[in-house]
Amino acid sequence: MSLTEGSAIDMLRLEAQVHSAVSSVDDPEYPGISIVDLGLLETIHVEPDGSTVIGLIPTFSGCPALAIIADDVVAAVQEVADVSTCTVDWLSSPAWHADRISHEARSCLERKFTVAVQIGQRSTTCPLCASKTVEQSMFGPSRCRSVHTCTGCGETVEVLRG
Amino acid sequence: MVLCMSRSWSSIDDFEAFLNNGGIVESDDSMPDEYRLAVFRFIELHANSEQMGGLTERDWIPRTPGLRHKMAVIAKTQDEFGHAHLLYMVAADMRIKTRREMVEDLYAGKSRFHNVFHYRAKTWGHQVAIAFLVDAAALASQQAVFKNCSYGPYRRILKRIISEEGFHMRLGEDRMMRIAQGTEMQREMFQQAIDDWWWPALQLFGPDSKPNDMLLRWHIKSERNEVLRDRWVQKFVPMLQSYGFTIPDPGLRFDDDEDRWVAGPIDWAPLKKTFANVGPDSARRISEASAHWEESAWVRQALAANKTVNELVQA
Repeated sequence: MSLTEGSAIDMLRLEAQVHSAVSSVDDPEYPGISIVDLGLLETIHVEPDGSTVIGLIPTFSGCPALAIIADDVVAAVQEVADVSTCTVDWLSSPAWHADRISHEARSCLERKFTVAVQIGQRSTTCPLCASKTVEQSMFGPSRCRSVHTCTGCGETVEVLRG
Repeated sequence: MVLCMSRSWSSIDDFEAFLNNGGIVESDDSMPDEYRLAVFRFIELHANSEQMGGLTERDWIPRTPGLRHKMAVIAKTQDEFGHAHLLYMVAADMRIKTRREMVEDLYAGKSRFHNVFHYRAKTWGHQVAIAFLVDAAALASQQAVFKNCSYGPYRRILKRIISEEGFHMRLGEDRMMRIAQGTEMQREMFQQAIDDWWWPALQLFGPDSKPNDMLLRWHIKSERNEVLRDRWVQKFVPMLQSYGFTIPDPGLRFDDDEDRWVAGPIDWAPLKKTFANVGPDSARRISEASAHWEESAWVRQALAANKTVNELVQA
């Protein structure tokens, strides 16, 4: 397939391949959960010559994983046959928000990592027993996480918020 | 689903049979006192080590070269304190010591933390060696606990801590690659760091596990110290040599028949000193940590006062 004379269909197909390559990249701190499911992917631009720009948004600016995520995305996208170059742009808007997390990723966070997701100021429930959790400290292991305890089973629960 | 129902066992044999069948103990179960104490001590040691590790990282925020590394060190500092925070909560749930008692015992030099935090990180090369060698050793030990740990709350916290420590490992590899491909001076600095940190990292695994090790018997740990230590040697000896660095172990040799590296004899005296909090940098570390604790007393007082005011307003 020559993309220099590529039809619109070919371009769409290529974009879909790039999308699935980006989806194959996991969050470095949550192995098994794709950055796309966490809502980091904002834009994909593919030119007819195969040059590709991926627009990502960070969960918070200053996240130390940005360089590693970008390296992983470039490596995955360059595996796509018709991609010539790939760069990652970290976008400053829109701002990331916890409601960008997909339903699947949310249940995986709960099941696999005992991490609850808090949207805005809404209350959160324990991933183990579904009782209400209470915030113990807004300072968890990273800026996007706080520490709660469950009012039912007493589990210590990390809460991903935004 | 965790049942909010406390279980009890009629005898230690009964309890051990439950553990041997892969049973998971929860915080409100009536577990045998010996088990409760063993798990508590283990988690307290881990929490203390994350806390002291966080303080070490924090010392390096202003000294770290380059924005990329500096961002990583800031985040790693928060990570370590966050881990300590979670672990202290899990340990406090065992109702042996409160969180405050654990922190105060640590700062008074009355409790233990891992040997590697009894040494001083003097150069950036040391920081790279710590992130690369020591973090890998700590991660390997945690993985061995997580794999089959019989205490549920700790096992679930470890799952998250391990994935984050795995991320630190990647940052450590990134640092190592940069310094290994750097100038002659940078390479010399890193070689010196390997010379200084190789043995403490190796000693982190501890002496060979005893046949009657209760941590193994009760499925708190799942692998023997010497097995973990050996795996680490097999990984790091060839890796460091491939970058042209040398290993400061005169007894190290490659066994052609067994196709593996064999480390020389290990002197355990330095490890024992760190157990007694009399390692090379123990006194300074503990006194600095304790000074910070005193300096931040006003924050705790303000928070407690705020809580009282809120309660009065609500009443």
